[in-house]
Amino acid sequence: MKNTSNKIQTPEPQQAQQLPQGFSTETLKTVAVVGLLILAFTNWSVVIGIMVNAMIFIYRVVGHNFGIAIILFTILIRVITWPLNAQQMKGATAMQDMQNDKEWQAIQKKYAKDKEKLAQEQMRVYREKGINPFGSCLPTLIQFPILFALIPTITYAIGSTPLSLLKLSSYAYEIQHVTSLLPLNSKFLWMDLGLPERTLLFGLSIPVLAIIVGLTTFVQTKLTMPPPSGDSNDQAAQTSKMMGIYMPVMLFFFSLNYASGLAVYFITSNLLAIVQYSMMGKVNWRNLLPGGQKQDQKKK
Amino acid sequence: MRKKILFVIIVLLAAVLLSGCTGSTTWFGLSVSGDVAYLANNTAVHAVDVKTGAELWSFSGEKSTGFSFGKSPKLFDVSPVVTADGLVVIPSSGNDHAMFAVNPKDLSADKIPVPTIVWKFSGAKGHWIAVPLIIGERLFAPNSDGNIYVLDLSDGKSVKTPIQTIEPFKDSAGNGKPERLWSQPASDGKRLYVTSLDHSVFAIDLETYKVVWHADLSGAIPGSPVLGPDGMLYVGSYAKQLEKFDPATGKHEAVVDTKGWIWGTPVVDGDNLYFGDVASGVGGYFYSYNTKTGKLNGEPIKLDSGITASPLVLSDGHILVATETGKLYAIDASGSAVWFEPANAKSKAYTTPVSTGDSVLVSYIESDYYLIALDNVGHKKWTFPAGK
Repeated sequence: MKNTSNKIQTPEPQQAQQLPQGFSTETLKTVAVVGLLILAFTNWSVVIGIMVNAMIFIYRVVGHNFGIAIILFTILIRVITWPLNAQQMKGATAMQDMQNDKEWQAIQKKYAKDKEKLAQEQMRVYREKGINPFGSCLPTLIQFPILFALIPTITYAIGSTPLSLLKLSSYAYEIQHVTSLLPLNSKFLWMDLGLPERTLLFGLSIPVLAIIVGLTTFVQTKLTMPPPSGDSNDQAAQTSKMMGIYMPVMLFFFSLNYASGLAVYFITSNLLAIVQYSMMGKVNWRNLLPGGQKQDQKKK
Repeated sequence: MRKKILFVIIVLLAAVLLSGCTGSTTWFGLSVSGDVAYLANNTAVHAVDVKTGAELWSFSGEKSTGFSFGKSPKLFDVSPVVTADGLVVIPSSGNDHAMFAVNPKDLSADKIPVPTIVWKFSGAKGHWIAVPLIIGERLFAPNSDGNIYVLDLSDGKSVKTPIQTIEPFKDSAGNGKPERLWSQPASDGKRLYVTSLDHSVFAIDLETYKVVWHADLSGAIPGSPVLGPDGMLYVGSYAKQLEKFDPATGKHEAVVDTKGWIWGTPVVDGDNLYFGDVASGVGGYFYSYNTKTGKLNGEPIKLDSGITASPLVLSDGHILVATETGKLYAIDASGSAVWFEPANAKSKAYTTPVSTGDSVLVSYIESDYYLIALDNVGHKKWTFPAGK
């Protein structure tokens, strides 16, 4: 069947043929991802241990500056997960493009009242166009262990309570010789990274860092929001829109009460995401303007 | 609409997951005075009848009035102290950095009564982790911000205005003062001996509040100093050594090399000092040191896991040791475990147990119960359930 959208790639036919019947490369990928996730979550302390020691190593290298260590550590995580993010973006773009595909729209209309047949047809189109409907989910799933391990890693490394310091000491490898290093110096710029940040401005105690977390999260989700399709029922676009509202609010409140070291991580991560999306040409600056998305929609 | 609601629920669940994925963040505070035990279990301080385990009252800070922007929940995990007048001093480890004195004789009519707040001090800039020390009419409260706040017990105000703190000193790195004071000071009535997580031990004159001497150990000191029966000051640290200080001059020497980091405060029993360590990847060791001979009473005893709590000397002379995995060992003078209380599978014991005469109280985290009372041979008397 002829591809109706220029952006959607067709699969390499010989790849699927080499595998046993009933097995596709996508199935193998899914199995591999699930296997990796099981491995990570059953060896949770190993994952955290690796990350804690990476953090301590960076801290030592940069001259005992925990703020710089968090920033560099975030960059390291971003670099490691770069291919996964890129693949996720590619999958998301393909799914987005699919919304504008004429054949796709036709089957949506044709089988609107027959959900089972619609699902079958959708899977057929996915197969024909070489799109994995989970293509944007799998890379995200692989990142889950890293993302979930990040919070305890930073919390332990800050060591602002006896228990977190004890855990830090239990995770630190012998070769790190952390005895003389602990406690890590949590001072960075005007902040104590072990405490929630407040800055006295005009007699008011303002949570500057939490506000920056909220703003950068808002800007990042806005910039990376895909242009809406013509379909008013486009669930992906609706989800993105809601993410753009709830995520900044959620992370703002999270940053209000937790150690500011975590806020430094969120800000760095948001800025790096914007940089990565920019380098891949996926940033939509018009989204920042009021009504910017509507203009995109009109152009389409 | 349903999808939107579902999405909001997922986001909220993610927030909860994100907040909770570090597991427990602190261990509990536990102290006893007369027939009442005080358990600080993060959310509140519970006063518990040591004979029955019944909850007498509970304190969870001031009632919040409306939306408090930027204020975080209060967190109670420091062992409360009781003044001679019967007030209970409760530091909050939350971001409000508040310290309360409550009157347990003046309780509300709630189902679980709440004591009235007599005074509140909120001048500190860091978390309260150290247990404050009462000397006469004054409260010496070390804070994570590096200050020792000296409060008048009658009204909770600083003894001078502005807030009286201990005079800063320059350490070897040129820093103005130590930071992260996490442990209760010791005192001989003339001086205050303070340890810091930043490797410092220092003595302060209680008349002038000036630092008399200062020493830098090569490891963090999470436990308190203790004055031994020989008049010397003993301090354990991450440097895997028990140090003996001359309290007059600050001159010190290492008297015991340990296998792991010393967390808890050594305990005095006659001429002996008992303490434990956390040996990463190995477990924990229990040490008995004779101050008279300057030697260990036998080889260190290896236990199943790390020891952060201080040992407890029981009324029958045995020494009770709680380990990280929640196990309890009663050790006799020969170094044999006379009884052993296995914990339930997931519980952890980091807090120093307390003795009430005929009972021993042990606090657990990640357990079905926060507090258990045992008799002197290890039989359960009552438990204080988790979730309160």
